[in-house]
Amino acid sequence: MRARSRVETRVDQILRPLGNPTIKYYLTVAIAGAGLLWFLLAWAWQLKYGLIVTGLGDWGTTGGVPWGIYIGSFIWWVGISHGGILISAGVRLFKLKVFYPVARLAELLTVGALTIAGLFIIIDLGRPDRVVVSVIRNYVLTIQTSPLAWDLTVITLYFIMTATYLLLTIRHDIYVLRRRLPARFAPVYQLLTNGYSPEEDEKVSRMAWWLAFAVVLLAPFLLHGGVIPWLFQLIASMPAWYSAIQAPTFLSIALTSAFGSVIIISYIFRRLYGWEELIPDKAFRRMGSVLALVGLFFLWLQLQAIMTGAFAAPVGVRTATEAKMEDPIYWTAIGLVIAAVLYLGAQTIWPALFSMKRVVLVSIIPVVATLFEKTLFIVEGLANPLFDIYKAVPGHYIPTWVEISSIIGGVSMLALWFAVISKVLPIIEVEAEHEGQEE
Amino acid sequence: MEDKSRLTNSESGGEKKVPFEKAPPLRPFNADLAMRVAEDTQKLTQGKLSEPDYYHKYHDAYVKEFGIDARPVLSSDTIGKASSDSILTGHMSRRTLLKLGGVALASAAGARLLGGRALGAAANLGGNSSGFPLKENGEQAEGAKRVQMGMVIDLENCDGCLSCVYACSNHNFNSAGVLWLYILAFKDENREGNNFLVRICQHCANPPCVKVCPVRARHKRDKDGLVLTDYNLCIGCRYCMVTCPYGVNYFQWGEPERANYYHPKLTDYRGRWVIGNPPKGVMGKCTFCPDRQDDGRGNVVCALTCPHNVLHFGDINDPNSEPMRYLAAKQKEKGGNLSTFRLLENQGTKPSIIYIGHQPTRSAKAVDGPVSYADWGLVEKRLDVLQGPKPWFSKAFGGTQ
Repeated sequence: MRARSRVETRVDQILRPLGNPTIKYYLTVAIAGAGLLWFLLAWAWQLKYGLIVTGLGDWGTTGGVPWGIYIGSFIWWVGISHGGILISAGVRLFKLKVFYPVARLAELLTVGALTIAGLFIIIDLGRPDRVVVSVIRNYVLTIQTSPLAWDLTVITLYFIMTATYLLLTIRHDIYVLRRRLPARFAPVYQLLTNGYSPEEDEKVSRMAWWLAFAVVLLAPFLLHGGVIPWLFQLIASMPAWYSAIQAPTFLSIALTSAFGSVIIISYIFRRLYGWEELIPDKAFRRMGSVLALVGLFFLWLQLQAIMTGAFAAPVGVRTATEAKMEDPIYWTAIGLVIAAVLYLGAQTIWPALFSMKRVVLVSIIPVVATLFEKTLFIVEGLANPLFDIYKAVPGHYIPTWVEISSIIGGVSMLALWFAVISKVLPIIEVEAEHEGQEE
Repeated sequence: MEDKSRLTNSESGGEKKVPFEKAPPLRPFNADLAMRVAEDTQKLTQGKLSEPDYYHKYHDAYVKEFGIDARPVLSSDTIGKASSDSILTGHMSRRTLLKLGGVALASAAGARLLGGRALGAAANLGGNSSGFPLKENGEQAEGAKRVQMGMVIDLENCDGCLSCVYACSNHNFNSAGVLWLYILAFKDENREGNNFLVRICQHCANPPCVKVCPVRARHKRDKDGLVLTDYNLCIGCRYCMVTCPYGVNYFQWGEPERANYYHPKLTDYRGRWVIGNPPKGVMGKCTFCPDRQDDGRGNVVCALTCPHNVLHFGDINDPNSEPMRYLAAKQKEKGGNLSTFRLLENQGTKPSIIYIGHQPTRSAKAVDGPVSYADWGLVEKRLDVLQGPKPWFSKAFGGTQ
């Protein structure tokens, strides 16, 4: 009977967000909604007048930089989306029980962040209205040569896989909790559990395992260690990009920002709904340790890039490396990551240093720093092309209010996504082994 | 001597003296005809002679002299249509007209080169004897037959007058600072004075921009190897600009400042909109004037305008084409000591522009040329003029952005 009451409590806790919204909730939605609305206005402005409202320009005689915050944000959001699914896959494949409570939150982050990443590609286009027709029309040809076509393909594949994964694993929970879920969303639940029968659980669990397996392979090999860095590392005209080290670097940055984001989002939910029992300190300590590890990996690869670029590199590479090393933003980003890695590493070895607040605060650092690093990578790379004989090279880029609004818009969208989804679906998994007792 | 008289006439377009010795006669030709054509070209530019009449007048003489007449000789039923295609319309400023007068002159003078007859001197060109870069074993057999329009650019003749830049910019109605053709003046170590680099789209045989385009808007036209952008397909991702090692792409960041008023959507022979100023949100770059390739004129505006015999446009895979004959003749003249190069060749792009002159070294520094872009009313650094409208809320913050 003890076990039964414990499970009841757990389910009660899981269902906490699904209750009636509080003032705080409305306030959050209002603020995030305002952020999104502001961004939509900025985007409308851009659609009306063209990309001239950004700080972008052609490289060469113009003295501009053709990609900036939009592409930087795109990589950043794709990177964040990795954390989620990798944590979730880790739970499933390697039975990492400690991350179990945050697995679904992480999956939701993946789906949300990936959607936002896709949107940033659209925002960056001069003619977003054509994207579907134009891409489909010559897809058979472009997929053979264009890294951007590869990107669109793999991101779509990744989205389908993660969404399927989420859908498969959530059906069981909706079915189990069906009598306690808010009645007003009944059609949603009916749709999601369409054709569900408890007998499918075993099959679904196997399918989810294989999906997780595929995702674990796909993310490093094809996505953030593949097509995303290939967008840049295959471009020989930009020496700062043209390096085989880009793929592992991108992956390290993706994981750094991803684990940071999962920590932040988990903490926010734990704080809002009193989930100290559901998401224990231990989970945060462990996530902090993983973050220290991937952060260290990131720093190590930065060291490799700088050593190679500064020692006796070909002129183009050296120029680009020097430009990076002279940039205070770069060193600020790196310095912040070093600080975060030092603390998170120390608390791994010396548990007395651990505190929830500290881990969460320190996790914000790499998330913000990676956005700067990514944007800088794009801008510095394009500002220092191989063919630098032009008067107007290196180019200059000062983002405008429209571009800065897009960052606000992206974060607001993610906040809205979690605000909405947490009112509709259970965002923490109901453990399968307790299901019999739950009924 | 015959040649000198021809070129003296081209000077009447207001250009500087041409170091004529550098352009050797390629074959004997009818100097009287050239003189008469040149005189009538002046009449044409002054409006005393209509374009169709002008072309008709010498058609027979051209055929007799050269075997063909590649100029747009018009039948009466196409005259109306073609006049709207003319580069000589009443909308142009006097200055433009003068420039284009130079174009017409050069056109008349250059037409003799379009005959396409083999010349003994150039017949052996090809193979590896020329010392040209980019001879790849596997591609010779196939590549030799493939038409690849390109240029031989004689930098030794260039004096940086920017006539070609101005002509290109106006012909394509490009926005301020969009320099599909750009003359870069530079100082280099151990080399006295100004050197020039005519930076134009290289219409590469292996173009990285075509490779990366996610929609195949950027493509290579089969017929003549032009690298073009389909303005109806382009989604404006700017990946082509990012990947081009030469920096020849210019995006249409806002509404085009000028419209092509005779042909807002000028299409090539395939019906694809690839010519002229691109619309908002679409990429543009040098096109090698596909309309002029399709209708038989077979020339490009910049080369026609150049008063100094710098730009030579034609099929660089054909040893009998004008640019290749020019190159061969010049090589012969220099006794094989001619310095030629292709730009950033080690990028593997197989550029179709062959430069005569000295390649800028790593220590080359861009300097102001003898004629500034502002002198021609052009903008050199586009970022200075690339300004969007002030946002609606700017007034609330004191009106400045």
